[in-house]
Amino acid sequence: MGRAQWRAALRNPVGAVAAGLLVLLAILAIVAPILWGDAAEATDPAALSQGSTSDHPLGTDALGRDIMFRVLVATRYSLGLALLATAICVVAGVILGVLPAVLGRRSGRLVVAAVNLAVAFPALLLALFFAVIFGVGARGAVLAIGLAGAPSFARLVQTNVAAVSGRDFVAAARVAGVGRFRLIVRHLLPNVGEPLVVNATVLAGGALLAFAGLSFLGLGVQPPAYDWGRLLGEGLDRIYINPSAALAPGVAVVIAGLAFTLLGEAIAQVVGIRTTRRILPRRSATPPADPADGASTATAPAPTEPAPDAVLAVEGLRVGFPGAGPDGWTYPVDGVDLTVRRGETVGIVGESGSGKSLTALSLARLAPERAVVTADRLDVVGLSLAGGDGDALGDEPPRDDPAVRKHLGTRLAMVFQDPMTSFNPSMRVGWQLAEVARVHEGQGRRAALARAIDRLRTVRVPAPQRRAHQYPHEYSGGMRQRAMVAMGLMSEPELIIADEPTTALDVTVQRQVLRLLREVQRETGAAVVLISHDIAVVAQLCQRIVVMYAGRVVEELPADRLDRAAHPYTRALLGSVPDLTTDRELPLATVPGRPPDPASRPAGCAFAPRCSFADDVCRADPRLATVAPDQRAACWHPRLDDQKQHGQEPHGQEPHGRQPHEEGVSRA
Amino acid sequence: MRELSFHGVTVRFGAGRSALAAVDGVDLTVPAGSVVGLVGESGSGKSTLAKAAVGLVPTTDGEIRLDGAPLRARRDRRRLQMVFQDPYASLDPRMTIGASIAEAVPGRPGRTGRAAEVARLLELVDLDPSRAGSLPSGLSGGQRQRVALARALAAEPDVVLADEITSALDVSVQGSVLNLVRDLRRQLGLTMLFISHNLAVVRYVSDVIAVMYLGRIVEAGPAAEVLTSPRHPYTRTLLDAAPRFGVALDDPVPADSELLDDEPPSPHDPPPGCRFHRRCPIGPLTVPERTVCVEKDPQPAAADRPHRAACHFASDAAPASLEVPAR
Ligand SMILES: Nc1ncnc2c1ncn2[C@@H]1O[C@H](COP(=O)(O)OP(=O)(O)O)[C@@H](O)[C@H]1O
Ligand code: SF4
Ligand code: SF4
Ligand SMILES: [Mg+2]
Repeated sequence: MGRAQWRAALRNPVGAVAAGLLVLLAILAIVAPILWGDAAEATDPAALSQGSTSDHPLGTDALGRDIMFRVLVATRYSLGLALLATAICVVAGVILGVLPAVLGRRSGRLVVAAVNLAVAFPALLLALFFAVIFGVGARGAVLAIGLAGAPSFARLVQTNVAAVSGRDFVAAARVAGVGRFRLIVRHLLPNVGEPLVVNATVLAGGALLAFAGLSFLGLGVQPPAYDWGRLLGEGLDRIYINPSAALAPGVAVVIAGLAFTLLGEAIAQVVGIRTTRRILPRRSATPPADPADGASTATAPAPTEPAPDAVLAVEGLRVGFPGAGPDGWTYPVDGVDLTVRRGETVGIVGESGSGKSLTALSLARLAPERAVVTADRLDVVGLSLAGGDGDALGDEPPRDDPAVRKHLGTRLAMVFQDPMTSFNPSMRVGWQLAEVARVHEGQGRRAALARAIDRLRTVRVPAPQRRAHQYPHEYSGGMRQRAMVAMGLMSEPELIIADEPTTALDVTVQRQVLRLLREVQRETGAAVVLISHDIAVVAQLCQRIVVMYAGRVVEELPADRLDRAAHPYTRALLGSVPDLTTDRELPLATVPGRPPDPASRPAGCAFAPRCSFADDVCRADPRLATVAPDQRAACWHPRLDDQKQHGQEPHGQEPHGRQPHEEGVSRA
Repeated sequence: MRELSFHGVTVRFGAGRSALAAVDGVDLTVPAGSVVGLVGESGSGKSTLAKAAVGLVPTTDGEIRLDGAPLRARRDRRRLQMVFQDPYASLDPRMTIGASIAEAVPGRPGRTGRAAEVARLLELVDLDPSRAGSLPSGLSGGQRQRVALARALAAEPDVVLADEITSALDVSVQGSVLNLVRDLRRQLGLTMLFISHNLAVVRYVSDVIAVMYLGRIVEAGPAAEVLTSPRHPYTRTLLDAAPRFGVALDDPVPADSELLDDEPPSPHDPPPGCRFHRRCPIGPLTVPERTVCVEKDPQPAAADRPHRAACHFASDAAPASLEVPAR
């Protein structure tokens, strides 16, 4: 846990109160016996078992000793014993917890089983059992409480250690020859520290209460020593004579116990072990439609009429999240223009984080709850979802307007990377498909199921009759992806948006899915938008390719003109991916640096820090401009030569302190 | 650098109905000073084979040898180092990259010796030695993967096993890691088992290519030969399916036949005879008289066929030359 996190824990009001209380208790524990130790022992024969008086605000006990002083002085002993018990518990728990990781498989399992057995035993009974074994007295009680808590702490350590052990860095350390002991000390324990600290803190609170309980029962601290539990026990005998004699130690126990528990909770909140609901800005907290500095000048100044046969016409699409940007918002998608005509296949390529998926989700009105989507134009399959001056889509029409839902549901189909998450795991595939037809088209049960089977056949799922009755998990990845396409075909979509549909699949299956999309597009006349990080995949299927970088479209070109890409980034992408014809003797092209974070996107051309052609002009925003027929690029210095002449690019690497311009993405 | 070889290596997981052989009788040699590329679809057992070599999973059967001597003790295992797929998971987030690398340095060099060694290794993987004090969170994916490579090299291994080391990287940095692998190989004469599901990536760095299918090596041979005249229909299928610029999706390849639209077989219940027969474009589904494919396992006689192909028809399959239009 870093210093910043500790500070954050203290800034949290609960944490601050708890920490303040603990500091107070610590001071008391140190100074009280020094200041008032004698006063607490002094017997006052003149005032036996008194109630509250001016000399003794909380009264006196049977021997005439001052209760207030006794409660204050008992702080040290009570806290000390509780902490000692906690320490025993933590040490025993950690040892038992890491033992399975140290021992071989078999003995490890034995330890786990033993711990699980002990956990099932009620801790209080265990404590009483130990108290009897170790004998009545403070030492016995400390051991009893410490050991009674150990099994559950051990299990906590075990589960956390087991989770971390499975991670690659532990495997890597093992392979590197790191010994078991060092593995635990350097790799396992530091990475499970946070939950352990939290639980140890909460545990200390529990130990305090448990100790008070044992002492109260006479099993803990023995006279003449005294702690809060014993004071409570004595006070309770005379509760009708002097209620404060019982109340004062009781209150002390509760306050101290609470302080520990609350501090644990506060730390837990900060390190996010138990996540609490964060307060999100209301959706109506719309970001400014156009920042004053004109950062979105890449969008067309005034919406032009889209092509009449467009199934998708997007202008100036922005998706904002409350974040660390200059205006309190970050825009992972920042001014995307995109037009797709009927029957067209368009590919969107870009690296992770370039905003491809968010763009796709926004089109289907599936953007995350916190996102605010604005656009100058957003016409999707004949429905205008935005218009005018940057309407926030969150307001109008409402997100879950059933008419809009239905319209999109029947005319727009989405295919995602992981079809497993798109299917309901507990419902048979055929019935899930049928449900679409029943909801959107009001078909009968039987007719809908027949259609589902027919669609499964269309996407070449073998034995569709039988497979319609299977659950999603009984399908392989490739088959699920087909079923997902089939689901999209239950109605007659005009537009199919496929977001990385083949990324999780093998090349052979990938080819099948791509060919399927091609077939569907031919047979139904639907337009297809294929999103992928792999430009080779996109080039296979699509007529037109849209390249995204840092939330914007940087180039748009016909697939057969890829070798004449004009934007340096497109060229870099093409040059850095080996294919089966790449010359093995030459190094691959590389792009120095990494894509910018949306929160700190550089002004002007976002690619400039990585571009070998960048100059002062590039500090202004380049707009998409026509560089060749059907080809537009957002670059001040578009490359207009044939890339073939370049062959592969000179060797470059990620910069470390070098000038980014020193090595380029292309030979200048 | 020494030669790593697998002899009949089998790795089983689970018991009873859920038992499966993730690796099933693999023979494979990684000659000293060369890079062997291992390709195959996910789940074919590539990672398991590498993990068995470094001792992260126990082998059920067979032997793994280094220069002919079986690997046994932990000490031997250190001679093999593995680099993992996900550079975000393979570095301890709590440890500076310098400490992570230093940990793998063998022996007990002094503090200064160790720092010098870390600096040398960082330099070797094209990272600024002054970054030794950074935590992994401050590094990009490509830089982390370089650190992971440096850590593997720190142990002065005889063989490096690289498991999908570029798959988790952005395409614009994947190239720089591949370049690094090539450079290191030239500089240090590394012996390497380079695993990837991407044939183009494997082709770029490997001298020898081995193809894995359902726990077995179905073809292995010099990279150029395997790519230009594959002997096993599965290799052919992989080559056909790999996306290539300028080659349209519409030109059908044998594996596009509808007959072969079958589920990939389950490793829990591999098909009898040839494991590929239900998806084989020249197998019993398209050439009915080839019943031998269903009845007889082609694996045992593989050593006698070209490229040690596990296919009854490997020898007479016309070497299908790979015609690729220049880009
Ligand atoms: N620890 C394990 N327990 C059970 N099955 C496993 C385990 N590890 C891998 N497998 C299975 O072994 C097979 C091969 O996996 P793997 O070696 O990861 O393949 P690859 O690396 O080629 O993708 C898969 O079917 C996988 O599910
Ligand atoms: S030349 Fe300028 S505008 Fe074009 S990509 Fe490079 S930095 Fe951007
Ligand atoms: S043995 Fe038969 S089924 Fe197997 S790969 Fe060869 S031809 Fe195909
Ligand atoms: Mg793998």
